[in-house]
Amino acid sequence: MKSQILKRFTGFAAVIGIAISLSLYSCKAQHGPVEGGHESSAGGEGAHAELEDEVSDVIIHHVMDTHDWHLADVGETEIALHLPWILYNSATGIEFYGSTHALAENEHYLEAHGNVYYVSSKTPVREFHFSTSKDPKLAAASAALVATERAELKKFETENAGKYAFVHHKGIKRDAAGAKEALIEHVTAYELVQGATLIDFSMTKTALHILIVAIVIFLMFTSVARAYKKRGGMAPKGLQSFMEPVILFVRDDVAKPYLHGKHEKFVPYFLTLFFFIWFSNLLGLTPLSSNIAGNTTITIMLAMLTMVLIVANSTKDFWMHIFWFPGVPIWMKPLMLVVELMGFFTRPAALAIRLFANISAGHFMVLALISLIFILGDNGHSAAGAYTIMPLSLAFSLFIFMVELLVAAVQAFVFSLLTAVFIGQAMETHSHDEGHGAEAHH
Amino acid sequence: MDAVAGAGIGAGLAVIGAGYGIGKLAAAAVESIARQPSASGEIRANMILTAAFVEGVALFGEVICLLAVLGGNG
Repeated sequence: MKSQILKRFTGFAAVIGIAISLSLYSCKAQHGPVEGGHESSAGGEGAHAELEDEVSDVIIHHVMDTHDWHLADVGETEIALHLPWILYNSATGIEFYGSTHALAENEHYLEAHGNVYYVSSKTPVREFHFSTSKDPKLAAASAALVATERAELKKFETENAGKYAFVHHKGIKRDAAGAKEALIEHVTAYELVQGATLIDFSMTKTALHILIVAIVIFLMFTSVARAYKKRGGMAPKGLQSFMEPVILFVRDDVAKPYLHGKHEKFVPYFLTLFFFIWFSNLLGLTPLSSNIAGNTTITIMLAMLTMVLIVANSTKDFWMHIFWFPGVPIWMKPLMLVVELMGFFTRPAALAIRLFANISAGHFMVLALISLIFILGDNGHSAAGAYTIMPLSLAFSLFIFMVELLVAAVQAFVFSLLTAVFIGQAMETHSHDEGHGAEAHH
Repeated sequence: MDAVAGAGIGAGLAVIGAGYGIGKLAAAAVESIARQPSASGEIRANMILTAAFVEGVALFGEVICLLAVLGGNG
């Protein structure tokens, strides 16, 4: 029995792995105004980011999905895995580039903040500069200038919708003594090639990590399934002893209580879901800079799978409760329709946001605590500051790590439990409707 | 700057609400377990489930604060 469940489970694991990797192939077709990266980035002419900005860059860079899996810097050498760019261009067909660097050598592809634009030339058509002076005497005048420039940019954007790619850069200008002189921001517009569709099919860091998790789960479960086949009826051994209680937990505490005796066919899906979320979260706690469940694409995809299951297993009563709520006065029915319809969509949305926010919050916190050492140490200028905060910072991040170990499992549990609850609600037939009063029966 | 300050205050308020809610929830759950230890498994599962709902609402607030900070300049 158990080995049968496990056998079916491996199939599900493959399906979910492929489905999610596919969803990750961020399809960014080149249509309409390009929502260029609003992220701040160090750089620009003569501009150097402030330490705090650098810290938030590091944190945001860590939680974002990239095409370059950056592991470490040893001295000047960067240890990174450059993942290939795979682009579909309606004019030239499928194109392949070994790394972001190779992509940048093509004169028509502009890469900015993880997005690629098909431009006719890499020479900007127009540049907008915003410079907010730190000098109190000049502040008012510079603010007025910035406001006019922004209005100009807005006008330019609306007048030329879909024609240009806008790339944002932020930085800080310093005077000769190194004091902050002004906050500067550039927005550069590049002309897009009209009539061409560019779709980015590249496998990103997160997609690669999903495949790693899928392979790990696949290997673990096939080995456990084999062990059950070979040692049928005997006490579990090795990996089996670790997996058995967790598998039974998912079956008995997640699926069984909510699915009205039909849990058996859902158990493979819940095992997949639980182990996928759990192991991705655990991978996120290793120094591999992985952030799978802290990516909205993944969590929305998982929540959409939940929604598909809700719809696929829904009964007539479920839809009745949404569209024509039984047992309430007739004037309330349209009101209930709005409320119930909202509930139908917010349930999966809440699932997606909960998982994303929990996992991202953990990553943010650990990184922010570690960054405190650099901020108080004035980026290497103040050893006293760095040494004072270091024990506190390390102790706190260790504590957060321990909490995150717990959160990794709790979020996997909550996501699968709520999925079970929602599917169970959709499956419900009217055994409970005595409370609805007479109207429901007529 | 205003967006950052507002987001910080908002995040704090969201946490106060969630902290109060989860605190009440945990107090009631622990009390129930003390009264009826045999039902501890079921109570715990319900507690985690409800805590997830409370926390979910707080996280909506936090995400909005995060958006206010990240998108506040544009």
